Amino acid sequence: MADPQGLEGNQPVDLSKHPSGIVPTLQNIVSTVNLDCKLDLKAIALQARNAEYNPKRFAAVIMRIREPKTTALIFASGKMVCTGAKSEQQSKLAARKYARIIQKLGFPAKFKDFKIQNIVGSCDVKFPIRLEGLAYAHGAFSSYEPELFPGLIYRMKQPKIVLLIFVSGKIVLTGAKVRDETYTAFENIYPVLTEFRKVQQ
Amino acid sequence: MATFELYRRSTIGMCLTETLDQMVSGGVLSPELAIQVLIQFDKSMTEALEHEVKSKVSIKGHLHTYRFCDNVWTFILQNAMLKYDEGVENVESVKIVACDSKLLSQ
Repeated sequence: MADPQGLEGNQPVDLSKHPSGIVPTLQNIVSTVNLDCKLDLKAIALQARNAEYNPKRFAAVIMRIREPKTTALIFASGKMVCTGAKSEQQSKLAARKYARIIQKLGFPAKFKDFKIQNIVGSCDVKFPIRLEGLAYAHGAFSSYEPELFPGLIYRMKQPKIVLLIFVSGKIVLTGAKVRDETYTAFENIYPVLTEFRKVQQ
Repeated sequence: MATFELYRRSTIGMCLTETLDQMVSGGVLSPELAIQVLIQFDKSMTEALEHEVKSKVSIKGHLHTYRFCDNVWTFILQNAMLKYDEGVENVESVKIVACDSKLLSQ
């Protein structure tokens, strides 16, 4: 979290792609893959390191690796979910590492239908936002219930992305399958945010 | 009632097992009775650690490996520092095996 603006500061931002000058930082990637073989979860939990298996609570082995720092949910059907990676490549690399671990334990694991299911990004526009005004003007897309949740939930239609917008100017973007959807959604919302910038006394 | 057998691997547990083995092979003790003694040992160890031992230890180190399977947590810590009443000890590696005592009463 040292550099919340991601690329900014390290290299110049491509203003044709990011007119706002802000590039959302990817925070979490969720991917799935099919190892295409039945798995003995108890055998995996007993042999692999950093594994948890509590079938009474959850019907999957929860396994973690340190590089890329991720968590995998491994199901008896051979389906696997990989979470926590910071980029698409890292998510795929991590999923491959988990598949290798399963192979090394003696299962004929394949690597079928790898797919990025969700990308979460965040950024900071560095000015406060009038959420009530925004919710009123964009009623069709907005849900703002400060008694329930302090952020405004903005369900963008094109691209189909959900944004959490906070008074502080911090933004969370989720629901993307490719990172460009995250970037487009942010560029779409940025002019709206500037319109509802809160003027401080 | 079920018992935790993990204390049998302690020094005192190993010594007891060895003695019982000798007695059984010497014909002074029946195998059934030896097993009963071990089960009583499991119970007594659990009880003693719960009620008689007041001292506390804190362990701090780098978590190298963890596992949770069959309701048993296993942790391997590296470069660990064990702090207890009488002092501090540093060890290269320590393995912690932990069971949930609530499961015994079920």
